[in-house]
Amino acid sequence: MSISKNVKPHGFIARHPEIGVLASFFSIALIFIVRVPDKFLTVPTLYSILTLAGELGVASIGIAFLMITGEFNLSISSVYALVPMGVVLMVNLWGVDMLAASIIMLLVAYGIGVTVGYITIKTGIPSFISSLGMMMFLRGILLAVTGGFPVRLERDHWLTYVLNGPIGELGLRTSAVWLLVLTAIFAFILDWTPYGNWTYAVGASSNTARELGVSVSKVKLTNFGISSLLAGLAGLMALSRFRVVDPTLGQGLELETITSAVLGGCLLTGGYGSISGTFLGAFLIAMTRVGLVLAQAPAYWYSAFIGIILIIATVINLFIVKKYVTSG
Amino acid sequence: MLLEMKGIVKRFGHVEALRGVDFHVEKAEIVGLVGDNGAGKSTLVKIIAGVYQPDAGQMFFEGEPVVFRHPSEARARGIEIVYQHLALIDLLGIDRNIFLGREPIKKIGPFKVLDKEKMEKEAGRILQEIGLKRIRSPQEKVAKLSGGERQSVAIARAMHFKAKLLILDEPTAALSVRETRKVLDHVLDVKKQGVSVILISHNIYHVYEVSDRIVVLDHGRKILDTPKEAVTPEEVIEVIRTGGTVLATQNQSP
Repeated sequence: MSISKNVKPHGFIARHPEIGVLASFFSIALIFIVRVPDKFLTVPTLYSILTLAGELGVASIGIAFLMITGEFNLSISSVYALVPMGVVLMVNLWGVDMLAASIIMLLVAYGIGVTVGYITIKTGIPSFISSLGMMMFLRGILLAVTGGFPVRLERDHWLTYVLNGPIGELGLRTSAVWLLVLTAIFAFILDWTPYGNWTYAVGASSNTARELGVSVSKVKLTNFGISSLLAGLAGLMALSRFRVVDPTLGQGLELETITSAVLGGCLLTGGYGSISGTFLGAFLIAMTRVGLVLAQAPAYWYSAFIGIILIIATVINLFIVKKYVTSG
Repeated sequence: MLLEMKGIVKRFGHVEALRGVDFHVEKAEIVGLVGDNGAGKSTLVKIIAGVYQPDAGQMFFEGEPVVFRHPSEARARGIEIVYQHLALIDLLGIDRNIFLGREPIKKIGPFKVLDKEKMEKEAGRILQEIGLKRIRSPQEKVAKLSGGERQSVAIARAMHFKAKLLILDEPTAALSVRETRKVLDHVLDVKKQGVSVILISHNIYHVYEVSDRIVVLDHGRKILDTPKEAVTPEEVIEVIRTGGTVLATQNQSP
């Protein structure tokens, strides 16, 4: 009832799910600045972080978009390997142009996402399960086809420079540009288009959205497709960086992308979240990894660190949602 | 006559929810639709709103035969329904709720973009009109509203899109006395604007107060259709309780 003086913060915080991740971001950054002051605040470090964040971030954007729609897609970790694997095999074995092969495989990726969505909608099983099944199925195929061995891209192609080539001498890569551009595009779609409004609505309450004339299945299928497509694109970015695809590439990415999205303020239950927050989430994960290396901590600590950050950030996010968004 | 339905039958498996119901609504008329649970009230209005399709019978809107295969088709003709659960999304702002599914857009180059300015302005005006002065911003999440405020927003949303027929399903079920008063006043205002209303409620006194005509359904049949003046609320309650045996002889349809 109270019309308090802090009118602005209420509205501001409620409309910005990124606050939790920003708080974590500055805390972690502060630790590294204190621990390794000479190396952490440098341009090459920033570029290293962006390079790591690039592939993770692009895949995370799709997952965040889908989570706001109220669904999961764990199969993206396998798609992340399947797309570059398919491209490499087409290029190496049949001499297909890499661009053509990439377009074909990205369409396949989109199709896989839509298929997971279709199974989910038609059978009514949770997407967590349908996409888990798809993840295992595709990973099995990858391992079976390659016999478990990595495959190397045998021809050079301009596309690899576009997807993930170096810019300048200090370690900046084009993947950073892709990440920023895609973040901007999807943040724009979510907040500035009718489609974004439907995405929020379907995630928050699909029945209500249906009653108000939103085509729920279409929105869900499309967003499943997008999550898979972006994972495939991220996989191609990884291929462009390493020129090699391991059939186990991307294992664990399904949970790392969910981590970025949740850090960025997405609710597991749908209807709420932020693309720019997810970008920060991916950036935070990459920064932690790079920071630990700079601090010469054993790499094993990375996972422990992320685990703690995830829990703390989610507690902050939940507190914000309860206090400023859903309470009467 | 705005809406006319003849011999409407609707089955769900073996259950016959409506067994040949005739129903009509005049222009700028408030019809109170009452009956016990399972009488078929909700099924009937969902057919009008295009959520269900009848298995038999005809429907005329503004004199033309109509078949609504989807809620959007009914809405395109000016039929708006406000459900008991209000069809509001807690996590979305009031403005985004009001325009969900029919967002105003403007073109920036080749892109169709939400006309946020219009959404906020119109939503603000709607909030003013329905007297929700407490609301700080049209972008406030619906989760922050009270039951009565939600009801008002849902009705205002329906009205905003130039409804000719407004269907209210249990609009007062979860409201305080004061909020109920406000909603009933809304209904009378709506009528003054020339809009017809179908009002479903378990509370006969609420229905009786605002309705011009009262229709009672029982087990999928219409058992009473009378101008309000011809009956007392107590008689209506008695009809519902006994399943129509009391006033069956007085059953009149103009």
